[in-house]
Amino acid sequence: MSTSFEELAVGDTINGPKFDVSRESIRLFCDGSLDYNPLHLDDDYMKNSFGKTNFGGIIMHGMNNFGLITRMLTDWAYPAGAIQRRLETRWLKPVKPGDTITPVGVVKSKQSTQKSRWVLIDVLVRNQRDEHVAAGEAMVEFPLSGSTVA
Amino acid sequence: MTQASAFETDFWKDANLRKVWDEIVPGEPRKTIPYKLTLEAIQLYCRSVGEDHPLYFDEAYAKTTSYGGLIAPPSIHILLMFACTPTDDWMRTPGTINAGQSWSYNKPARPGDTITLQARALDKFIKRERLFVVHDNVFFNQHGDVICSGRGQTIRPA
Repeated sequence: MSTSFEELAVGDTINGPKFDVSRESIRLFCDGSLDYNPLHLDDDYMKNSFGKTNFGGIIMHGMNNFGLITRMLTDWAYPAGAIQRRLETRWLKPVKPGDTITPVGVVKSKQSTQKSRWVLIDVLVRNQRDEHVAAGEAMVEFPLSGSTVA
Repeated sequence: MTQASAFETDFWKDANLRKVWDEIVPGEPRKTIPYKLTLEAIQLYCRSVGEDHPLYFDEAYAKTTSYGGLIAPPSIHILLMFACTPTDDWMRTPGTINAGQSWSYNKPARPGDTITLQARALDKFIKRERLFVVHDNVFFNQHGDVICSGRGQTIRPA
């Protein structure tokens, strides 16, 4: 079930894994990323306002979205011999314990250059209310056959 | 969990030593420290985002691929950013809010690599009363190869 550059079409969808967010998953991400910012740990601290924003409790690391989008892209790219080359993201809404988030990708364009081939993918992460919590764009390289990767 | 236990997880400690927005000088290199990336650290990060690809877990499989052995997922820079910076680095300032990131990937990091970071603030600005810093980061392996490079924006606590 692998994808080839030739067969890919604009509008093709990449479905990412559903991810249940809990206090435990956020704590594990602290240990995995070494990011122990109290935003992700300390409910008392999170009673404060940040500028004009009050989150009302701990929030998931924005980079947890980034890691989940990466997982979707690499799981899709590896079987095709393709390589994830770029990911740009911005956060649209905080994610909290109890939320379930799911990334999705949509092929935006394909392009050949002098030495390789590239696919641009719009990426989006939605929560269980279908709200957009993160968005961005990825670039995946499909090396010409015969060229070495890694 | 040796990585986590050797690492200062109380981000309030040394908070008074960290630069505030006013003191951050765009262009000035940040202090960084080399970091030995272990298989254990890679796999702990993987578990935290549900990564289960055999390229990160199954050496026998990984050897049969064009990668020739186990690698870390591209997003490992999330861990490396904190692993390669000291406790007084302003990225740890409580309340630092990540406003967006873009990363380019060259070579995969591998278990056993000694990773170094070259990092600095590239710009700072105020938008709608919020204090932004743009950072610029490049990670290298022990051979001097670029692993990945990235740009991020954070909103600094006022």
